[in-house]
Amino acid sequence: MSANRAVLALLDHAELDSKAGKRDAAGASLERALRIEPRNPWLWLQLAQVRLAQGQYAQAITLARKANSFAARNYRLQADSWQVIAQSRVALGDTAGAEQAYKLAADLALQARAEQH
Amino acid sequence: MKLPSLVSAWNRLFPHLKPRMPGKAVRVVALLLLLGLSGYIYYLDTTIREAFEGRKFALPARVYGRALEVYAGAKLTREQLLEELKGLGYHENPEPQEPATYKLTLTGLDFTSRAFVFTDGPQPSQHLRIEFNEGTVSLLQEHGTPDVDVPLLRLEPPLIGGIYPGHNEDRDLVRLDQVPKTLIDALITTEDRKFYTHWGIDPRGIARAVFKTVSGQRIEGGSTLTQQLVKNFFLTSERTLSRKANEVLMSLLLELHYSKDEILETYLNEIFLGQDASRAIHGFGLASHFYFDRPLDRLELQEVATLVGMVKGPAVYDPRKKPELTLERRNLVLKEMAALNVITQSQFLAARNKPLGVVQRAPTGTSPYPAFLQFVHRQLQRDYREEDLRSEGLRIFTTLDPLVQRQAEAAVQMRLGAIEKARKISPNTLEGAVVVSSTQTGEIQALVGGREARFAGFNRAVDTQRPIGSLVKPIIYLSALEDPVHYTLITPLDDSPLLWRQPGTSDWKPQNYDRKFHDQVQLRTALAHSYNVSTARLGINLGIERVLDKLPRFGIEHQPAPFASSLLGAFGLAPVEVAQLYQTFADGGFRTPLRAIRSIVTADGKTLQRYPLNVEPVAAAGPVYLLTAALQGVVREGTGQPLLNWLPPEIKAAGKTGTTDDLRDSWFAGYTGDRVAVVWVGRDDNKPTGLTGASGAMTVWGEMMKNIQPEPLEPVMPEDVELVNIDPASGVRYDDSCKGGVPLPFIKGSAPTEITPCAVLAEVPKSSTVEVIPAAVKTEAKPGVKAEVVPAAKAEAKSGSKAEPEKKNWLQRLFN
Repeated sequence: MSANRAVLALLDHAELDSKAGKRDAAGASLERALRIEPRNPWLWLQLAQVRLAQGQYAQAITLARKANSFAARNYRLQADSWQVIAQSRVALGDTAGAEQAYKLAADLALQARAEQH
Repeated sequence: MKLPSLVSAWNRLFPHLKPRMPGKAVRVVALLLLLGLSGYIYYLDTTIREAFEGRKFALPARVYGRALEVYAGAKLTREQLLEELKGLGYHENPEPQEPATYKLTLTGLDFTSRAFVFTDGPQPSQHLRIEFNEGTVSLLQEHGTPDVDVPLLRLEPPLIGGIYPGHNEDRDLVRLDQVPKTLIDALITTEDRKFYTHWGIDPRGIARAVFKTVSGQRIEGGSTLTQQLVKNFFLTSERTLSRKANEVLMSLLLELHYSKDEILETYLNEIFLGQDASRAIHGFGLASHFYFDRPLDRLELQEVATLVGMVKGPAVYDPRKKPELTLERRNLVLKEMAALNVITQSQFLAARNKPLGVVQRAPTGTSPYPAFLQFVHRQLQRDYREEDLRSEGLRIFTTLDPLVQRQAEAAVQMRLGAIEKARKISPNTLEGAVVVSSTQTGEIQALVGGREARFAGFNRAVDTQRPIGSLVKPIIYLSALEDPVHYTLITPLDDSPLLWRQPGTSDWKPQNYDRKFHDQVQLRTALAHSYNVSTARLGINLGIERVLDKLPRFGIEHQPAPFASSLLGAFGLAPVEVAQLYQTFADGGFRTPLRAIRSIVTADGKTLQRYPLNVEPVAAAGPVYLLTAALQGVVREGTGQPLLNWLPPEIKAAGKTGTTDDLRDSWFAGYTGDRVAVVWVGRDDNKPTGLTGASGAMTVWGEMMKNIQPEPLEPVMPEDVELVNIDPASGVRYDDSCKGGVPLPFIKGSAPTEITPCAVLAEVPKSSTVEVIPAAVKTEAKPGVKAEVVPAAKAEAKSGSKAEPEKKNWLQRLFN
């Protein structure tokens, strides 16, 4: 996810806080990590997942898109981002959009697996 | 506030009381006296406690800058870390085990950080070792057995100011444990040696005062610190015995209720130490800023002694107006300290020989960054009541980066001075403003409101709305590029004369800066050279309102009039608004509202509010990617070319110059991989400056960025964009292998489909593709001076045909 130990330390921090339900704090740690590596798509994706868990669906969708904007040809990550978008759309009542996103996520996951082999 | 005297209070309470029957009367009088006295004492007690508590609990909001994150691999030099540590009040110490001390080592530092309570919890003090290599941190370890790597250290954030109570009262409240010991020693030595043992008064001092009064001499002296504090609460020039009696009683009462430390702390924050026009200077914290422009914990011994000497009479011992008298008094304080062995003889001799060292012009506030602080304050006022900001002791964590701020301030000062000198403009007539933010998070890292950034005043970064000229053009070009069926980077635009008639305005005939017309120019060339005529025609064809209506989505609340002249920026925006506009271009079409505040924490450490990162997609990634490529062309080959005097071409900075009518406003807005920055240069009286965007604002931008060392701008290519090999002059498409072309980005499907054989251009002599650097770059040696020789006017004036061969090689060089 990152070669930078400072970023990894902050990711650990965020994960602990997230598991403890302290999502605001998790978000703050991820923002600290983003100040260090602003173009790291994994960090944007993690922040999107935190916002999804907080019920901030519009923000989750945008952050997932932003993750993708830094993730050219990284299908694994793109698949995860579309998962976040799909779940957010479900919560927002956009069933058709969610279906589309799920399908994209599935396709990308397949592509990612194909690449691994 | 003035207290009633004992006698007049008595008379008011018992006006009818006249002794008639001596025996009984005496008893009645004694009883009443006792009752009256206890009532009166009760009254004094309430008064003094109210005054004391009032001071104690009016805690201003404290505003902090960003906390510096230090980790192995961080781009940070030893000098920068030292600057940060000194700003935090760290002292050099050969044994740096105490918090806030450091020692230089061969290639790094040995230091002990302070403990600090952050929004997400406390962080303990750590004794650390850091090493640097080639501008980055190469090692960060905590001392121990054995030493262990520290993945990440967050230094405590620098305090950058406060929001203070009262109108003409300004404080920099200090806690007793933050006050240098030398100050307390000096104070007690000079003013009240028995402070820790007396009950609030010094009977001998009072006896002397009484004696002097009775014998007809002046009333003076004999006051303990406690008495002085009481006196300070109710400042009056009245010197009567009854006032003295009140003072004594209140001092005894204070000592009854509060500890010595509480009294001393309040004294340190309350004592009157000078007058600055309508503003009273109360307390040592503020006085330290007012006289030495430094926080209290960074004063040296002789400076501390100066302040203590002034307690006796700040008007008499005014270091600015009466330096000799003040120096004499200071040395007396030092001498007394040496006599009591509070300081050593050598400390005394060293301190005595130093000059007063008072800054000649007092800063207007306690913040070194008044423009940024004002911006923060305004943002806070939207969410909080003013009295809460001034009294609840809130802690405000902001985004200001002092290292970036310092470069921004220095660049404004240095460049404006150099421009005035080189162009024989009368000194100190040019003004400037700068906003720097981080590209992806939208955090404002620096805000400069004027040339004298240290002095609060007109905040040009936020409060001036000056016509933005060509800075508006990218929004027109973005609108065009969003329609790939009709517009690509190489679409020919018509730059022939234009006459525009619109009801409600006079006829409009836009001119180019070089007063020429250029027939057909490629879209990217029209933007690079900032051609007005072709741009205006493009905007009119797209629809004036359609273009201008985009602005609110980019965070520009100010809606310009729907006239064609607005297409060329004939409307005013503040630099901070322009920064918001360019932020979205820099961030691939995502709009992140610019933020100055990260979080707000209450006095007892609870997080009151966070201002999280907020992102909104407002423009498609593909067209924004194309726009960025075109704005990189501005710097590579257009009006922004002289920027290469400051920044190497590998940075691939994108930007746009802006010049308004008669050269009144000089603008540059641009971005690198990690920062967006906007600079405005002009005059407060709005007279012409003789500067274009490139010869004025852009030089400030370049100077600043050079010192900040930005990341190169390499946006990720969106999926709907492809690179196609194009002949830069004609715009025809070549086979991918053809060396004569340059790869240009297109929205997929919008590039020319017909492929031209590349025979002719393959002949381009090798030498010219290797190193063709425009004249401007060759003068690199002394950017500050030489830039004047190559004003952008020349670059702007270059006609299309003349620039063509040079440009081709430039593009080749860059894309190869």
